[in-house]
Amino acid sequence: MQHQTNAPDPRYFQLVFQLIFLSYGILWLHWEANWVHYLTCISGCLFFNYSMESFRQRKFLPLVGKHGWMQWGFSVMISAASLCLLLKTNHWYTALLSAFLTVTSKYVLRIHGKHLFNPSAFGIVATVLITGDAWLSPGQWGSDAVIFFSVITLGTIVVTRVQKLDVSMAFLITYMGLLFWRQVLVLGWPADYFFHSLCTGSLLLFSFFMISDPKTSPALPAVRIVWAMLIAVVAFYLSAFRWQNNTPIGVLVLAGLLVPVLDTLFRSDKFQWKPTHISSIYSTINF
Amino acid sequence: MKKLTALIILFAMISHEANAFCGFYVSKADGTLKNKTSQVIIVHDGNRNVITMYNDFQGNFKDFAMVVPVPVVLKKSDIKVVDQQIFQLLNDYSQPRLVEYFDQNPCNRIMEYALPGKVAGSASDQKIENGYGNHKRTLGVTIEAKYLVGEYDILLLSAKESSGLKTWLEENGYKIPPSANEVLEPYIKSNMKFFVVKVNEEEKKKLSGNFLRPIQISFQSPKFMLPIRLGMANAEGDQDMLVYAFTKQGRIECTNYRTVSLPTDKNIPLFVQNDFNSFYSNLFQHQWKREGRSVAMLEYAWDVTPNNFVKCDPCVATAPSEQDLVQAGVWWIRRNWNDYSDVNKEDDYSSNVFFTRLHIRYNRQAFPQDLMFQQTPNTENFQARYIITHPATGDFNCEAGKNYLKGLRKRRIVEMETLTFLTGKGYNDWDVVDIKNEEKMAPGGATYQAAALVAGQKTGGNHFLILTLLGVLGVGSMFGIGRKRI
Repeated sequence: MQHQTNAPDPRYFQLVFQLIFLSYGILWLHWEANWVHYLTCISGCLFFNYSMESFRQRKFLPLVGKHGWMQWGFSVMISAASLCLLLKTNHWYTALLSAFLTVTSKYVLRIHGKHLFNPSAFGIVATVLITGDAWLSPGQWGSDAVIFFSVITLGTIVVTRVQKLDVSMAFLITYMGLLFWRQVLVLGWPADYFFHSLCTGSLLLFSFFMISDPKTSPALPAVRIVWAMLIAVVAFYLSAFRWQNNTPIGVLVLAGLLVPVLDTLFRSDKFQWKPTHISSIYSTINF
Repeated sequence: MKKLTALIILFAMISHEANAFCGFYVSKADGTLKNKTSQVIIVHDGNRNVITMYNDFQGNFKDFAMVVPVPVVLKKSDIKVVDQQIFQLLNDYSQPRLVEYFDQNPCNRIMEYALPGKVAGSASDQKIENGYGNHKRTLGVTIEAKYLVGEYDILLLSAKESSGLKTWLEENGYKIPPSANEVLEPYIKSNMKFFVVKVNEEEKKKLSGNFLRPIQISFQSPKFMLPIRLGMANAEGDQDMLVYAFTKQGRIECTNYRTVSLPTDKNIPLFVQNDFNSFYSNLFQHQWKREGRSVAMLEYAWDVTPNNFVKCDPCVATAPSEQDLVQAGVWWIRRNWNDYSDVNKEDDYSSNVFFTRLHIRYNRQAFPQDLMFQQTPNTENFQARYIITHPATGDFNCEAGKNYLKGLRKRRIVEMETLTFLTGKGYNDWDVVDIKNEEKMAPGGATYQAAALVAGQKTGGNHFLILTLLGVLGVGSMFGIGRKRI
């Protein structure tokens, strides 16, 4: 079944924007670019995804074409880009492990034909916890207004194409509201203190590029809004009262466990990236 | 009535005396720059923190006082005074360094040298005055504890509201700037305590030396941070802080500001050796602006584990010994091997020590929040290292010699460009160049003056190009890619 369609696959945008962010970090923010990490993450993700997908289909997939690259390569590139953007590692084998965990979680940890965790979030959190050789740098983006606005606009474009702005906004508004309540209303810090917390690229990137993943959030709109708000509340609590870093991503992974429960309780049609033209196989494995 | 002025290093209110520059600046354009430097050692593992604060207060010790917000009420055993040498030692060891190499005349036989060179000084000058009286009234202020430690009288205060605390401090002789309120209030509401220090004159008299020793406090708290906001309450302009951090695992970095490594391993013109301090001051200021000010600069990171023998490359000063580390507050490397009574207790012995030096230039505008840190497993060594190369001397009549001179001219153009990139200054800004002397040092007319002329003609524009490229890529992707997929 093939249809002509004008709506582009949102994952193209996602990938392009992630690459823009990476270039921004390296060129502007002068990150110490770890090319070994980048190369290992990308090639590792591609290799593992090809192997897993071939194994799942019990045949060697072609390298290019609609049943080749588009099936095994493209979607995992977004996960690989997330690993490059967010995760830092000391050694190539840690980077390789993160790629392995990211891809495997997608194929192994599945319930009702849907993967349980956001692959890159799982890969990142698991690598940090297991190895102690990897870390995230929440301060890496700084608080420049430029990145603030670009992430907002670029992110909006990405999510509106997938009609999941609701998750991002529910998370972001709840989290910002709680920050405002705690920092300004309760503690009495001046406004710029609050804005400084908001403008970290990490928070916005998480809101628009990670929690917004339609494959790992509850299917019913009302449910997923509550689910996103819950993540915001727990992440806020852990960071404001328990002094933990990178709480949104950790909580997102835990909240993945809730999704099958919520989906069973509140039934709805499963999300497909491009329901109009993609074959049945396509809909089962996705980022 | 005694004139009691406000005080404080580090975290509290810094008085307005104009401080001398450390080193001097080549360009007069930076005249507004203030160099108030405070130094602090922070040792962190798990929830345990040891913080050592240094000030080189000059003046009447009666007038000294300091207010530091701390997360918990400290016990007397949590507070001690340490030898100030430790700061000098850490500073000397981790300072940005100038390395010199010597070219060999290719017409002669080849020899290699690499000599450790100079370091950039960063002496801190800080005027602190104060003292507090004996009058105590409630005002919602509770004296949680009162200790005499070394030459210091120490009070731990908790407060219910900022105006009460402010009144209390004022009645006890602190001049509190009006803007301190916006900071005191959040600290009180965050349940922070106030660590208030003044000099006990009796005890001070018993000690020799005309200086105050650093105070070291240790406490359990998950908050891995340094409260800098109080120090900005009445300070205009920029203040500098050097943070020497020790962890078991690896580098520390800021979680709410960017941590940026300084440009390092750059070849710079030979004449910089005349005044490396100025070079580095300008470099820091220029890079700080270039990175958008709200950044912590990484100046040094190294594994200083006692049994790691390569502690720097090249070393400009002695690396801290195990004893120094213990004095700095690194508690986990000390273990009494004959005493196993604490084995069942939380035994966190480890021989690993990683050292990070961050240099933070802060002001109220660029730093709305206190400094929050995290420990990372990043063990990559880093040092701010700048290289000068002495040209070869002698006769260059052989073929290789001619090529050498050609290469030298090219190299010096690159060095001048690097200088401008690093410091924002060109050849003419550098008023310490002794031209005659320089020409003597420049075989075949390869002077920096000539190189500067060539280097000056090239202007940057790279960033603009890249920005445009990225913009086009982004816009293009929105409209083009994937649109015609079938």
